[in-house]
Amino acid sequence: MKTFFNFISHKLRILKAVAFVTYKEWSAYRTHSMVSIFIGPVYFFVQYCIWKALYGDSQTLNGMQFSSMMTYFGANALIGYLTMDFADWNLQMLVRTGKFLTFALRPIHHRFFAFSQKIGHRFLGLVFEFIPCYILFTLLFKVNLVPPEPLWAVLSIVLGFLMTFYVNYCIGLTAFFFVRAEGVRQVFQLMLTICSGGLLPLSFFPTVIQKLLFFLPFQYILYVPSMVCTGSYNLAGISMGLPQIVGIQAIAVILTALFSELLYRLSIKRFTGVGA
Amino acid sequence: MKNKISFLSKLHSALHLYKIGLKVAFSTELAYRANFIMSSLIMLCFNILFPLVTVLMYQWSSFPGWNIWEVLLIQSIFTIAQGFNSMFFSGIFWQTNERIREGSLEVILLKPVNSLLFMMSSSINPEGIGVMLGGGIMYGFALYHVGITSIAFFVQSVLFFLGGLCVMWSFTMIMSATSFKWVGNSRIPEIFDSLLNFGKYPSRIFPQAIQAIITYIIPVAMIGYYPASALLGKMEISQLLLLIPCVIFCILGMLLYNWMIKLYEGVGG
Amino acid sequence: MKNKQIENCITVEHLNKTYITYKRGETFRETVKSFFKREQVLIKAVNDISFTVPSGSIIGVLGPNGAGKSTLIKMMTGTLFPTSGTIDVMGYMPVKNRSRYVRRIGAVFGQKSQLIWDIPPVDSFAMNAAIYNIPKDVYKSRLDKMCAMFDLGDVIYKPTRVLSLGERMKCEFIMAMLHEPEVVFLDEPTIGLDVIAKQKIRSFIKAMNKNGTTFVLTTHDLEDVEQLAQEVIIVNHGEKVFDGTLHELRSILGEKKIISLTFDKAVKDFSLKGATIVEKPSDREIVLEVDTSKASVSKVIKKISEQYVFTDISVKELPMETIITHVYNE
Repeated sequence: MKTFFNFISHKLRILKAVAFVTYKEWSAYRTHSMVSIFIGPVYFFVQYCIWKALYGDSQTLNGMQFSSMMTYFGANALIGYLTMDFADWNLQMLVRTGKFLTFALRPIHHRFFAFSQKIGHRFLGLVFEFIPCYILFTLLFKVNLVPPEPLWAVLSIVLGFLMTFYVNYCIGLTAFFFVRAEGVRQVFQLMLTICSGGLLPLSFFPTVIQKLLFFLPFQYILYVPSMVCTGSYNLAGISMGLPQIVGIQAIAVILTALFSELLYRLSIKRFTGVGA
Repeated sequence: MKNKISFLSKLHSALHLYKIGLKVAFSTELAYRANFIMSSLIMLCFNILFPLVTVLMYQWSSFPGWNIWEVLLIQSIFTIAQGFNSMFFSGIFWQTNERIREGSLEVILLKPVNSLLFMMSSSINPEGIGVMLGGGIMYGFALYHVGITSIAFFVQSVLFFLGGLCVMWSFTMIMSATSFKWVGNSRIPEIFDSLLNFGKYPSRIFPQAIQAIITYIIPVAMIGYYPASALLGKMEISQLLLLIPCVIFCILGMLLYNWMIKLYEGVGG
Repeated sequence: MKNKQIENCITVEHLNKTYITYKRGETFRETVKSFFKREQVLIKAVNDISFTVPSGSIIGVLGPNGAGKSTLIKMMTGTLFPTSGTIDVMGYMPVKNRSRYVRRIGAVFGQKSQLIWDIPPVDSFAMNAAIYNIPKDVYKSRLDKMCAMFDLGDVIYKPTRVLSLGERMKCEFIMAMLHEPEVVFLDEPTIGLDVIAKQKIRSFIKAMNKNGTTFVLTTHDLEDVEQLAQEVIIVNHGEKVFDGTLHELRSILGEKKIISLTFDKAVKDFSLKGATIVEKPSDREIVLEVDTSKASVSKVIKKISEQYVFTDISVKELPMETIITHVYNE
């Protein structure tokens, strides 16, 4: 029992130290967060114009009201601030520059290090991106952004946080297998955006695709948390209550985490076979 | 007479440098054979994803006055421009950005060739071909359904497309210039990517003020929207004047970049 | 039977590392051809190398660029697995037991920094302290001690990017040794540093070595070898071409010494049995190479002074460069 306790406290110590170090890289982060604050509102504004034109005179489209659509995209932008990370980019940089070696030389699992980094960064994101934009969206764009079931919303967002991390980390691991992975990464990110409902609610996709998307990890990154924030979830004709979908989301996170561990081990094998 | 000769010889050596750059970039890619095939295929398939989303949207509704093929025309032209940008221009930004961060920009500036040309020829990204090809195929499809009604429209469309490339170039210049102030910020392209969004749709969906901005000040509409509009005959010949803001934007971008280089050289980096 | 006094902490046996690369072709045409049909080329980066390192010693690994030094070190640190052969460090198999193994080693790989660029080294140190789970008070005292040894003062509180290369290297060393590893691997530790920084780092290594830390360092710098290495391994083309003490290395070309003389007046046609003229910097100066196994230094000097008057004399070992070049070329 004692060794388990020591294990946890050691892990917490590392998490705190890395998150703190990441937090300290704040001065570089300042410019990064300015970029974020620009992108979110622009994204939302473009979606607003698109859907205003598409809605025209109709009240609803595919069962969704215009106001719900705006809440959906507003939630997308804000949840993005809370859950986004650059795990894929960072890992690819480390592999490309050969600096990944310094992690192979230390008793730390790089994924845990990357996760601790994300905690540090997103804490800053919460304060400097989420809160200002929440105010902006609510007051200027007049979007309703209060989730009807706040507890489930928070839980779903936390799971979305984890899911984004594991998926991005897996994408980053491909750097061990492909030499020039920048283009591949961009494509993965685009696919991620689309399949997680970033450009179009998943319920607007053809039913066949919706059924497929239900089993892929992408919807759990953004679509599920956003829908939980609007209060109702449906995909592929399946409608379910919030507790159920959040439960499924949790299972999806666990499965993805296991997959990332498998991919990590394969990557390390490759790394130690071929060298830095 | 002497000036003419030296200009020609400069041009010749510039083209030669460029040719070598292309060869090197391609042979490097071909050397990583599996990587190249894989990434080209992925590029080819998946850059059609974005327009597919538009197709899906059109299952439910449409932009007033624009049918699906017309909108795909806008987006395919945009994709081709993006591919071109990724292949030839974006490398300059990344090189500048990284070199400023590492403090090795001097290496480029000291070379006896134009530093921009050098960076461009040493950072050609062949993966852009996959994107251009995907865009081209889509363009073919859209064109088939829309039909070219007159050569004049096509020519105007091509001219606008070139104007759009100037805008992309200017973006690269501005982003690179920003690297001097925001050292090491690798998120700069995201700002410009989000601005590019305004060029992927018929500009009529945006408020008047925005339409004016994306036409006259930051002419992103010229990248996809205007070339498509011209091809569809929706534009007057006189509107060729719209190329002027593009050229101005392009020149401003280059001036900004050169100014930042001068400042950088003045301070000693 | 274990000899308790001289225990080997590193044992490398018949180590091999072979890479498969593909012939790329030089002209553009060949490159396109190679796209469809590739010729395999086997590269033996490390070819049947065996050696042992006694606990608490400093061993220098020399070799020209591309000789396989870095490959060798990577295999010893567990970040590259061998094609065949065995490595045993403190009872661990580096690649197999990597996560437990790396707790007890330290490494400084010149170009690959562990320090985080935008923040002060002290924060990176604290992070490593967390990673290695070093108790806070132990960490503090070790840090103070090592900073004092390097005379760093306030440097560790400034962001890494404003530090000079020398200061950064010193911080890298601290970073690598905070957890008091028993074996430390250094890949070109003094490259690019000024003379004073080099000396400081060498003193640090010597001091740590006195405490019992074993060091394995690859280097090009012969001063490093002369000042630090107790044993030297020379690697060339992936093979071990020399393994022995510094003294043995020096005597590889025989018991030769270099005698430099300055005469009081110009000397023409100098000749002396048993001595070869290496250099004539001016008509008054001469540099001789003498094989002391044939004639002792005092005999030679006596013979010279019988015929000439000299105003200055120095007797030195063969320069290390000559010895090493000789070994490389063999």
